[in-house]
Amino acid sequence: MSAPTSSVGSDSADSGRGAVYDRGYRPYEGPRGRRGAATLALYKASMRRALGLRRTWRQKVAPFVLLGVVTVPAVVNVGIGYVLRDRFEPFEIVTYREYVGVSAALLLFVALVAPDVICPDRRQKVLPLMFARPLLGTDYVVAKVGAIGTILFAFSFLPQVVLFVGNMLVSDAALDYFTGHLDVLWKVPLAVLVLSMYYAAIGCALASLTDRRIVAGASVIGLFLLTSISSGIIVGDSQFEGGSYGALLNVLGMPLHLRDVIFLGHIDPSSALSGVGGGGWLALACYLLVLGASSAVLWWRYRWVER
Amino acid sequence: MSIEPLLRLTGLTKQYPGVTALNDLTLELPPGRIGLVGANGAGKSTMFRILLGLAHPTAGHVEVCGIDVARDPIGVRSRLGYMPEHDCLPLDQTAADVVSTFGELSGLPARAARQRASDILDLVGLDEARFRPIGGFSTGMRQRAKLAQALVGDPVLVLLDEPTAGLDPIGREEMLKLVDRLGSFGISVLMATHLLDDVQAVCDHVVMIDGGTLVVSGETSSLLERTGLVTIDVGHHTDDLVAALARRGVTAVAADGLVEATVADDAQMDLLRDVVAELGLPLFRLSTRLTSLDEAFVRRSGELA
Repeated sequence: MSAPTSSVGSDSADSGRGAVYDRGYRPYEGPRGRRGAATLALYKASMRRALGLRRTWRQKVAPFVLLGVVTVPAVVNVGIGYVLRDRFEPFEIVTYREYVGVSAALLLFVALVAPDVICPDRRQKVLPLMFARPLLGTDYVVAKVGAIGTILFAFSFLPQVVLFVGNMLVSDAALDYFTGHLDVLWKVPLAVLVLSMYYAAIGCALASLTDRRIVAGASVIGLFLLTSISSGIIVGDSQFEGGSYGALLNVLGMPLHLRDVIFLGHIDPSSALSGVGGGGWLALACYLLVLGASSAVLWWRYRWVER
Repeated sequence: MSIEPLLRLTGLTKQYPGVTALNDLTLELPPGRIGLVGANGAGKSTMFRILLGLAHPTAGHVEVCGIDVARDPIGVRSRLGYMPEHDCLPLDQTAADVVSTFGELSGLPARAARQRASDILDLVGLDEARFRPIGGFSTGMRQRAKLAQALVGDPVLVLLDEPTAGLDPIGREEMLKLVDRLGSFGISVLMATHLLDDVQAVCDHVVMIDGGTLVVSGETSSLLERTGLVTIDVGHHTDDLVAALARRGVTAVAADGLVEATVADDAQMDLLRDVVAELGLPLFRLSTRLTSLDEAFVRRSGELA
């Protein structure tokens, strides 16, 4: 197939009985992309890594078990709805809004995957090789956060699709169900996007600070535990007395407040932030602040060109 | 002859706080295999970082293939391949995966990158190991994999930082053979090393730097001068030969089990041969000695000082 004459610098043994062909080297003359192509390539490679594709089966277990786990509520809801379809009119153990919150379980996924996608590049000194290519630090960050964010989005969104389609099919009139829930079609993707980009950015920012996966994973879990516990202590029982600013300390909960605003148009009455004046705007400000801080950390860690 | 120079450095200076890594380097280098020689800390790696656009020079400017690095670092990087000195490959991925991913990062479409990764791994002798994780590779295989990732994007110039570091003699020989072949593929090489023997073996052009300052730059052959010394290997009969040569009026000394004789002309060369024959000694080697690059380096550094 590869004629030795077509390659540069090939040597061929000149024997009558047979020849060993050294295929030599062929220059590449096809199309060649620049930053965009490199960023896309890194994005795809990071997604493959996070999902355990082209890796051993053990690396595939965590992501797909997690996807299974977050889909269980949808399946259960649809299943019970099917069994009880003639007895109760609308059956719901989980609403679309609450289900976005279930996806917060994906935090575990972030703690596991963000360090795995980010830390080895620094630990194994792969970064100099990457930045010796047509790729800037910002491209690297976009590719990595984008890859984790995309998976988080998909893992939060797919169960919602199962829930929606399932509910539609077990309802008495599928079309009526569909037209009756049109708002879900934009609220769910938007809320899920808010949640997944937030977790992806925080996970990547924390992972970029260390080259040890275990430390990075523990910091992700630690940050969320610490802030939610301390927020819980400060808030105390104040949600019954008009809410508390302490709820804003809960880093984990921030996108859930925004989810409530998206679905309900206001902060959920049962939330600790309910009753705080301008709570929705405060939550949005804190959300953007955390997102901005994460981006700043990432920008700082990957400003690769020395001045 | 006006060939577009591969590299043009003009007054290149790089200062770190308290250290001058490169000091006013002005150079034009033709395409080919170039050895960048200097002791550890001479500024080789700094020069690589500047060529890749990963460090900004304090003064001066650099052109690679006619492109100004400061103006279009991305354009320069898509023409370069880089093989760092240290380990730099993801250990839990297969060589095929790593090299094809780096091909894509160099801007190749996924299919082309996979195809080229396979070809290049074949070229560097890793065809059978390409589906094994790099973590299980020997040092020699890792060096080859590093070279493969530098070549997969079809660069105009590859920057090799100490490519033979940590290799056993056979591995080193094979790596040098690969570097030597790159020239015939139309890929220029800039090889940083502190091993002058490596440069002497494969490079057409040598640049020597010391403490960030240019010591000498020129064709390898022009730096290797005849010394008028002849080395003769006659096994352990060195003393007999030295004495016999002295009787015929030829100055000779025994050193390291060899005889070194100073000859003025061809007639004296013939005389050497005749003396060995008359004494009935075994003649293992009779060669004109060239200065080694080491000597050239030491001498030029001395002149500069």
